[in-house]
Amino acid sequence: MDILIIGLVRGALYSLIAVGFVLVFSVGGILNLAHGTFYMLGAYFTFIFYSLVFRSGQSGTLVFSLILAVISVAVFACLVYHVLLRKKIESLVYTMVMTLALALFIGEIMSLLFGVSGTSIPSLVEGSLSISGVKIIKHQLIFLPITGLILPLLWLFLKKTKTGQSIDAVSQHRTGSLLMGVNVEKATLVTSGLSAGLAALAGGLIAPVSSVVPEMWLFPLIKAFAIAILGGMGSLTGSIIASFVLGYAEVFTSFLIDEQLTELVSLAVIVFVLLFKPSGIMGYKSV
Amino acid sequence: MALLLEVKNLSKAFGGLQALRDVHLTVSAGERVGIIGPNGAGKTTLFNILSGFYPPQSGLVLLHGQNILGKRPYQIVNLGLTRTWQLVRPFSGMTVIEAVSVPTFSHRARARSSNSTRQGDIVQILDEIGLAGKIGEDVDNLTHSELRLLDISRAMATHPSILLLDEPFSGLSPRETEKISGMILHLNHQGLTVVIIEHRLRELMKLIQKVMVIHFGEKIAEGTPEAIIRDPRVIQAYLGERSPDIGLA
Amino acid sequence: MSMGLRKILSRLFIYPPAGFVILAGLGIYPAVSGNILHVEILLLAVIYAIFAMSWDILTGYTHEVNFGFAFFIGGAGYLSGACNVFLAFPPALSIPLAALGAGVAGVLIGYLTLRLKGPYFSMATLAFAGILYKLSFILYKITGGEEGISGLKSLSSGPVTDFYLIWSVMIAIYFFLLVYSRSKHGTILKAIRADEDVAQSSGINTAYYKVEAFALSGLLAGIGGGLYAHAQMHIGPAMLSGSLSVLVVLLAMIGGMGTIVGPLLGGILLSILNEALRVVEVYRIVIYTGLLIVFIYLAPQGFVNLEFVRQSPWLKRFFLGKEESHGPSFRG
Repeated sequence: MDILIIGLVRGALYSLIAVGFVLVFSVGGILNLAHGTFYMLGAYFTFIFYSLVFRSGQSGTLVFSLILAVISVAVFACLVYHVLLRKKIESLVYTMVMTLALALFIGEIMSLLFGVSGTSIPSLVEGSLSISGVKIIKHQLIFLPITGLILPLLWLFLKKTKTGQSIDAVSQHRTGSLLMGVNVEKATLVTSGLSAGLAALAGGLIAPVSSVVPEMWLFPLIKAFAIAILGGMGSLTGSIIASFVLGYAEVFTSFLIDEQLTELVSLAVIVFVLLFKPSGIMGYKSV
Repeated sequence: MALLLEVKNLSKAFGGLQALRDVHLTVSAGERVGIIGPNGAGKTTLFNILSGFYPPQSGLVLLHGQNILGKRPYQIVNLGLTRTWQLVRPFSGMTVIEAVSVPTFSHRARARSSNSTRQGDIVQILDEIGLAGKIGEDVDNLTHSELRLLDISRAMATHPSILLLDEPFSGLSPRETEKISGMILHLNHQGLTVVIIEHRLRELMKLIQKVMVIHFGEKIAEGTPEAIIRDPRVIQAYLGERSPDIGLA
Repeated sequence: MSMGLRKILSRLFIYPPAGFVILAGLGIYPAVSGNILHVEILLLAVIYAIFAMSWDILTGYTHEVNFGFAFFIGGAGYLSGACNVFLAFPPALSIPLAALGAGVAGVLIGYLTLRLKGPYFSMATLAFAGILYKLSFILYKITGGEEGISGLKSLSSGPVTDFYLIWSVMIAIYFFLLVYSRSKHGTILKAIRADEDVAQSSGINTAYYKVEAFALSGLLAGIGGGLYAHAQMHIGPAMLSGSLSVLVVLLAMIGGMGTIVGPLLGGILLSILNEALRVVEVYRIVIYTGLLIVFIYLAPQGFVNLEFVRQSPWLKRFFLGKEESHGPSFRG
């Protein structure tokens, strides 16, 4: 029972991270290696807004900082995309290097501002619950309703709004959409912002209960990739399912084998797919 | 005459699309064979399977009597079958001499080289093909017809017994086509067996001895050029796509 | 100038004169300067040059970007450190052993990633480095976790001899890679980079050459990693970090990918820059990484691949030597 809930919570968090990653890939055709950085920024910005702007310590202001953080990261992502990448987007090598260099740079800035050992933010909801003898931190339970709200909203956005539909179209067929007069650039821009915002949300949510350190860009990226290849690189629904699969796999590993090995699960997934179905990594686009 | 290449019952499907169905083909040593058919008929798919880039679903391909199905492309080259590509595919970023040197590193070329240096090999081939003057030139500066010659030079550098040429005349002027056609004939007289896919039927028919016609993945006819141009099935295959009710093509 | 000397020089300067200048400069300075601090800086710079050049022989020549290079650096460092501290192997034995281990790992990973291209390849390399990074914490009983392993035996009696030892190794690696990249191996890698299918249809077993380059890259990085660990007498998880991997990529790329001499220059000069920034110690790392981003933005192909270098016959000859075919293009 406890495993059930913990796994759910983890899966929910991962789906926030993975969905954006897969979306950017479908629309832009690029594996955004900076995705982890946006996650990290979400955590740091939440802290910055909270500690610099609001000091009252009530949950309400924390939520507000979170929202501000998400928006600013989204804007930042759009800026990055616009300035640095748009001109050179044809070169895959350059894009990847630049996005990782940014991750490094921002990590160092954060290190400078906040020190290597991490920062701390109060939780949205203090305290913990006890379910069948296992302590579950209340704050983590929040992930579920939040994700349960955001993902359907995202779906609505993609299917019902004009911008969303153009994103949907581009993700299925970039050239076709171009020919149909869809503003592909705008779609890609919005997707970058959206994707970064989702990652930032995940980062901001995790911040109170996890260590916020400069290297924290690496593993969310690896996990997003593992989830994406599990769920099919182009498939949003696939990635949501895969997020929960990974979440549960990690929880099972943690409880049944060794807590230390949890982080290795996503890595094992990647290696496993490499060994047995390398072409399965370069999946087909679908929605 | 020795059967150099035998293709039996070759079939290949991609998902629901049957690209090749039960294709048979034999090529004797020293022959010049043409493969024609409307676009999408499956001709390049055939080449891709023969050269090892696609696996077939069923069938047999014997080269010098040896089954080459399932072998990697480079292994097939080293057994004597080389192909060129429909679109010119140069090694961008290299010079002509560097590009032609690549095939000379293959086992087959090393074994069959008649020159004492690699440079000698390359110069000899470029001389023969007619690109010797461009030996130091960057590949990216060559004209389209020079690139075609480069493709053929690279192919010849593998010392093939049989060469598959995929639309070698495409994009060339009539004079350039004559030149390449003459080149191919010359190489054939020196012992090279050739199989050519082409759409430029006039130029092709002058060059080859035997024609195979593929339509919707099936061989619908085979024979001498003279017989094939008159074959009603062939005419229908080519013209059938432009039937009167659609209007003038 | 006599004919004989002229002939020798022109033979020699097939290899980039710029390389000779840097190597000579590096060789002379520690001998004449009494400044130990400077020597230690140059020591690090030389090691980073080894890293950058080893990275280049794979990525520069195949354009498959290895973002997990720290795997080989730190992996070999830990291996050598462990052999030295726990098994009492002397560095002269543990470092080659570690490098060999890195080379074998290179064969394995190269094989596993054979069919991957572009970002997939890169993500896989990130994943492998991630595995080792995590393992260094999980296996803390052996690796010392966050603290790493200390008390590694040093390479020689002092920093200056350490330096010349590493300098000699670097020279050997540099010339080896130059020769390798201009040999059939380099040409084949360039062919694979341009069009792997066509390379295959030229009768080349492309898989073999790709794995070979990966293994070589790993082996040489392993040598650098082992040397580094013993020069610092310590090895820690930082040598397995993503940050190190990215840094090596940047050093090599800013110098100029696919040339060997570019990463040499990049590794040496940028590391010196890093140290020169110590005047603003607090902000140093931030400024350094920021500068790296500016550099790569201004010259995506790297310094030695810049238009104005390539167009000018003198500059081109000075930085690239003769017979270097024109630069890699990033298309696709």
